[in-house]
Amino acid sequence: MKESRRVPILLPDLGSPRVVFSLWYVQAGDRVTEGDRVAEVLIPGATFDVPAPVSGTLAERNVQPNNPLTPGTVLGVIQER
Amino acid sequence: MVTERQAQPEFVSDRPLSAYLLGSLDFDTLLALQRRLVYDTAGDRDSASLILCEHPSGITVGREGSAVHIRPNTPALTARDWPVRWVSRGGGVMLHQPGQVACYPVFPLDTLNLTAGRYIAELQAVALDLCREFSVEAIPDPERPGVRANSRRIVHVGVAVHNYVSCFGLVINVNPDLSLFREVRCDGDPAPMTSLQRESPLRVRVTTVRQKLLELITGRFGFARVSVFHNYPAALPRPTPHALPHAS
Repeated sequence: MKESRRVPILLPDLGSPRVVFSLWYVQAGDRVTEGDRVAEVLIPGATFDVPAPVSGTLAERNVQPNNPLTPGTVLGVIQER
Repeated sequence: MVTERQAQPEFVSDRPLSAYLLGSLDFDTLLALQRRLVYDTAGDRDSASLILCEHPSGITVGREGSAVHIRPNTPALTARDWPVRWVSRGGGVMLHQPGQVACYPVFPLDTLNLTAGRYIAELQAVALDLCREFSVEAIPDPERPGVRANSRRIVHVGVAVHNYVSCFGLVINVNPDLSLFREVRCDGDPAPMTSLQRESPLRVRVTTVRQKLLELITGRFGFARVSVFHNYPAALPRPTPHALPHAS
């Protein structure tokens, strides 16, 4: 049987020096499918939807709206199913 | 900022571009079409589309906008028939009206090897090149993405990226009624916007601007072929009231 693991949701490099967290689309405990948009971040002039890296359940939300972000920041954690 | 097209940009695409030149299009219809094209491009990342149109008068508010930037109150907005749409894109408040060219590229940014930040810079470069075509000296606005001429904003930039597919884009003032921009602080800028017609010594027409813009985008993003459509795709549904809450 496949072991479940915790997978971080990492912010990709958006090519902008200013990135802030905008909003979560899902709550902790919600089931998500790989590729679903789970959060939105904002750079000057653009919103960017962050996709779920794996299917599972959102276990943690580590950032809040208006938090400044850098590439590689762990936005949250998904418990893979 | 580099504004000249590079000889061989690394994101050059040999893919075709479907360009929809649609004339006047109300905002809800645009949203329905754009949503469908984003869905299609997300499923076929070798496809790319571009919508060029005008909008009837109305206001959109992006993530960086605020109701405080809209001076008329709700009854006044209703009397003017200016609908207000809060949309999930970057950028602030924008007043849409006839005499503008609205440009919505639906591009697969990952396939084109573009980050969101680089894409914004390239859109600004397209806008600068467009201004130059009409002998207007313009500069990019680093604080609020867009382009300025004569210290006033002339091009608005506001983009969203869903599943690495871009939507929304540019609004270029060609020859709109500039007095109306005193009522709306576009992108939070206290100065009213200007237009190509006001700043250019040349005759500026919407159709010419639209054609130049299509050429500039095709060249900068390296599309090898362009298919041009002048009609709303017949196979796509028009927006219905129950669909509008999901329209952004």
